[in-house]
Amino acid sequence: MNSTPVIDVDRLNLKYGDFHAVKDLSFQVRRGEFYALLGTNGAGKTSTLETIEGHRAPTSGTVRVLGKSPQDRAAVRPKMGIMLQESGFSPDLTVKESVRLIGKLTQRTDRVERVLSVVDLTRKANTKVSQLSGGEKRRLDFATAVYGTPELVFLDEPTTGLDIQSRDAVWDAVDKLREDGSTIVLTTHYLEEAQQRADRIGLMHRGTFHQEGTVAELTQTLPAMIKFVLPPSAPALPLQGRRETDEKFLIETHHLQKDLFTLLRWAQDHAVELRELEAGPTRLDDVFRAIDNS
Amino acid sequence: MLSIALSELIQIFRNRSVLITSFVMPIAICAFFVYQHELFAQIGSLGYIAAIVMFTVSAFGLYTSAVTTLASRRQNLFLKRLRSTAAGDAGILTGLVLPVTVIALIQVAVIMTVLGVVTGMPDNIALLALAVVATVAMMIGLGLATAGLTNSPEHAQVTTLPVSLGVIAVASWIGITGTEELTLLKRLLPGGSATELVMNAWNGGIALADSLLLLAPTLAWVLVAVVFASRLFRWEPRR
Repeated sequence: MNSTPVIDVDRLNLKYGDFHAVKDLSFQVRRGEFYALLGTNGAGKTSTLETIEGHRAPTSGTVRVLGKSPQDRAAVRPKMGIMLQESGFSPDLTVKESVRLIGKLTQRTDRVERVLSVVDLTRKANTKVSQLSGGEKRRLDFATAVYGTPELVFLDEPTTGLDIQSRDAVWDAVDKLREDGSTIVLTTHYLEEAQQRADRIGLMHRGTFHQEGTVAELTQTLPAMIKFVLPPSAPALPLQGRRETDEKFLIETHHLQKDLFTLLRWAQDHAVELRELEAGPTRLDDVFRAIDNS
Repeated sequence: MLSIALSELIQIFRNRSVLITSFVMPIAICAFFVYQHELFAQIGSLGYIAAIVMFTVSAFGLYTSAVTTLASRRQNLFLKRLRSTAAGDAGILTGLVLPVTVIALIQVAVIMTVLGVVTGMPDNIALLALAVVATVAMMIGLGLATAGLTNSPEHAQVTTLPVSLGVIAVASWIGITGTEELTLLKRLLPGGSATELVMNAWNGGIALADSLLLLAPTLAWVLVAVVFASRLFRWEPRR
């Protein structure tokens, strides 16, 4: 991965009338990176994404994609695949016709059959879009985004409505794109997908970044948790904790390994059984909850 | 652009209701005018029949179809999808309206040829062709402007009525009463000078230079429509 920015957003502002949707947002996405743009509802991530894609003009600030303005479609779109949040296909065209049309208009070259096999839509090639299920439409959308293996791929809620096999197929295809050097920009409500795959995450709240960094950087700001059920007769714990219920204990720690070891040794020494023991690092879900609570 | 036009053509022929309301109905109405040409020639002239034929096809086959198509493609986000590609806005719009335009031109040509065979050929075919092309350009411009005010294909059934019925009413008014009275008003109304131009081209008897002057109001309407379209046209549904 080199450090050339594929996306360069500098002091982006977007206003709809009096509503300030995006406020002074600046960030970069490097070549080959998997960047997740996440946020609470109404945080401004769709507005940001649509501006980077070139669907929307900034109120102020600059956006450069692959060194050019994203609104210069003829220059940037041949290198850029876009999976929209909603399908946007003509219901009277077949799957094959839709991929052929959009593929041709991207000016990239590929085989329609190859792209359809990637998303397991080969059997539906001659089916009208109006007869596809919601999940199949998402896969069709993905197929047009990855047609011709673009340098930069935008995935807006790519796995919404997909069954587990289809999700796996989509992520396998994304992994293949990354092997080929593509840069991926993802927005999703499935935080575990971002947590598992993203190199970096931009976490938006109320129109700007609340935090930006790797998963480890985002989650280290909050303590990890150790949860367990403790019998009432147990001796005093060696660590500070609090009861979530009468029986259930919660210990929050920034030193998970050390404190877990201390706890287990204490349990061993006192022959205490820690039932329903759970211990793990902070998840993105917890970071989101913390934002909401703030 | 051509790949968009081809996909539009495929969709037109797969959508039975579009095919009937936009293409079969105008042909049927025009066939009635041609069949009853003696009656309508008595009311107006053969040029009047030619003008009515042109505006029936332009209003229902072209204008209404263009508005419905653009509203539908916007509503299901197909326009946004097309704008996610390398295609430019002008290419997208041209591709979307090209099939209905070509079909309308073919319809007008066929019906006028039949009218000519049945009643005798028009006096000036080149002038007639010019009038048809100018009218088609005006209706496309008005279609783009109206599409900006139309939220859905269902909404198009309402929003297209003023223009489509208006131009046919203007054509009938001028075709039947001529332009000796209220000349300026009649020529400035949308479709007014185009009707007179078609009548002159078909019936003859008017100097070519005088007829060519009638192109100006029609082309002015093209300009007005394009200005409105550039201000009103939307690529995505209202949020």
